[in-house]
Amino acid sequence: MTQNTLIRVEVIIKFIGFVLLFNAVFLLIAASISIYHKETALLPLIFSGLICVIFGLFPFIFVEQQDDISFPEGLLIVVGGWLITCLIGMLPYLMWGGEFSLINAWFESVSGFTTTGSSILNDIEILPYGLLFWRSSTHWIGGVGVIMFVLLILPHATSSRLTLLNAEMSELSKYNFRYKARKIIRVLIIVYIGLTIIQSLILTLAGMSLFDAVNHSFATIATGGFSTKNFSVASFDSPVIETIIIFFMILSGIHFGLLYRTFTFQKENIFRSPTVRAFILILFSGVILVSAKLYFSDVYGIWDSIRYGAFQVISLGTTTGFATADSAHWPAFTHIILIYFTIQCAMVGSTSGGLKFDRVFLFFKSLRKQLIILQHPRAVVAIKINNWHISENLELLTLVFIILYLFTLFITTVVLTFFDVDLYTAFSASIATIGNVGPGFGDVSSLSNYSTIPVAGKFMLTINMILGRLEIFNIIALIMIRKSNF
Amino acid sequence: MRNKLKLKILAGFMLLVSLLIVAGAISIFEFISLSRSFNSLIEDNYKSIEASRTMLEALERKDSGLLLTLLDQSDDGQKIIKSADSAFMHAFSIAVNNVTERDEDKLLEKIDQRYDIFKNQVELATMVKSGGDKMNFYHNEIYYAFLDVKHSVNELMVLNQNRMYQDASLLKEKSYRAIMPGIVAIIGAVVFSLMLSFFISKYFISPLSELAEAIRTFSRHDKQLKTNIRSEDEIKRIEMEVNNLIARLTKQE
Repeated sequence: MTQNTLIRVEVIIKFIGFVLLFNAVFLLIAASISIYHKETALLPLIFSGLICVIFGLFPFIFVEQQDDISFPEGLLIVVGGWLITCLIGMLPYLMWGGEFSLINAWFESVSGFTTTGSSILNDIEILPYGLLFWRSSTHWIGGVGVIMFVLLILPHATSSRLTLLNAEMSELSKYNFRYKARKIIRVLIIVYIGLTIIQSLILTLAGMSLFDAVNHSFATIATGGFSTKNFSVASFDSPVIETIIIFFMILSGIHFGLLYRTFTFQKENIFRSPTVRAFILILFSGVILVSAKLYFSDVYGIWDSIRYGAFQVISLGTTTGFATADSAHWPAFTHIILIYFTIQCAMVGSTSGGLKFDRVFLFFKSLRKQLIILQHPRAVVAIKINNWHISENLELLTLVFIILYLFTLFITTVVLTFFDVDLYTAFSASIATIGNVGPGFGDVSSLSNYSTIPVAGKFMLTINMILGRLEIFNIIALIMIRKSNF
Repeated sequence: MRNKLKLKILAGFMLLVSLLIVAGAISIFEFISLSRSFNSLIEDNYKSIEASRTMLEALERKDSGLLLTLLDQSDDGQKIIKSADSAFMHAFSIAVNNVTERDEDKLLEKIDQRYDIFKNQVELATMVKSGGDKMNFYHNEIYYAFLDVKHSVNELMVLNQNRMYQDASLLKEKSYRAIMPGIVAIIGAVVFSLMLSFFISKYFISPLSELAEAIRTFSRHDKQLKTNIRSEDEIKRIEMEVNNLIARLTKQE
């Protein structure tokens, strides 16, 4: 076995240990909130934190420092890190009880870490503060990728960092980062933490309690969608709060590399990026179409049509999944528009999951290229995005990804209907979970939840969420590695 | 390099032990809390529910005693009234000494006031001479006073019953939370043991086997024992010592 295909289980366990230790920090913060409020969630949170610490520290006793990791190891660390994190993340829910059965705890944990934001809870407000904080923390940890924080503090050599970064980030998302691995990670984390702090402060100033502000900021910047309230953002009934959240949802749906360059007044920024311009343009076209339909169908008055239409389109279009109105009762036309945004998702390099806008953008560029070649067979047409030349290989990879994505969507819908879920609910739940959006339509609409989905269906949807988050290819690559190395 | 193996194994086991100890401590804590809740459930609410039942029964008996009195069976009636009154007051004092719920004291005050009214009217009824007047007085005054007390006592009983039902749900949750750390710890310990055995095999057994194999295949012409042991522990020390021994023996030859 060559160095490039080497798989050392002990090294993989050690790196996953780092991820567990990072989770332990948030579990212990959640536990301290429970101590303050004298809640029943204290012991489940402390015990889960302890398990993270024990399993996180254990490999350090035996495994010596590794300067190099192979790509298959990197892939296993990323996929394994996500799965173990989701498993550990369900412990506080499972140990606390209430509505959390085994499958419900797993669903909530996967939904949190993959920033999907779908919930099985009928009553969110009954949860203790500590558990609510942990629920939002899963979004925040998963938003930028569970491995990213570990990469930042990793004392190991650059090659390990680069390997893990390659396994965690898609090829396309690296396009707007013209930096070395360590700088990419720093840029991501700086923008991520910065946006979270700023939004928390602004929401507090707008009248939210500090606890709600932090939790909603975690969910916004991670494009997650878990709220601390039963009726999501609608509970606050505040246009100011909604506007702030809309603004940060849009920012969180844009490539973080471009945001960083904008904040640091660099030349190539969000205002000069054709992808960002196209993304914003399509998003606002969606807002106009939905709002107009709501108004002309007499669902709301002019102001409420804009207010609710804008929030819902941007919430789904950035894969956040917050809600201010129950879109299940809106006209069918608005559903089609919203479903389009659920499929399209936000930009690569952001915290959103799913198909990603850049791939759709690239697909249309590729379509244009093929049309030109049809007219001029000898023409050499290159695709450029943000002045960067897109290789034929990446173009092909993107098209294959889109086909795989839609195929997975089809399979999940079929499986859900097998478990007697109605077609509309099955289809929208599949899109909403693979796109890491959260709310769908039918029984799983924006102000409803996934509690009515059968156990097997819930499990299927969690696989969807993981596939959406890890971008399918990682899982396929993992299967291929297993075949060739074991 | 000294005692590194021992320390590693000890540290591994210490982590496992700490996991089990904490799980055990949490379970014990939850079970103690469960037992306390169970005691309070019995003592706090069940006592008051029983007292309410006794009060209701005493009220019914007192009402029957009064009717007997009004039907000219005064002796039997008075006896029943007296014993029912004493039973009511005894149950009432139990309820007064067992105030555990919010607004329970106000409810007891209301029962006390209404019972006083009922008691006074019962005494008045026994003084009314004419048979027809007696029954009219009973229907128009006493019966409503009786219903008022009964209603208040019922309220007291429902308050405690509701609380008991809530506590029973809490007990169910507490017992769940007492069991879960144990289950998680068992699964965790199994996974931990598998990992420990993997590390022991990887870092202790495999190098030892490798060393044994290297010694077995060591040829007289080799100048050094060659292994792939990279760890800095006792096994590496054995390898070094064997190599030193080989070097000394080669020198002697």
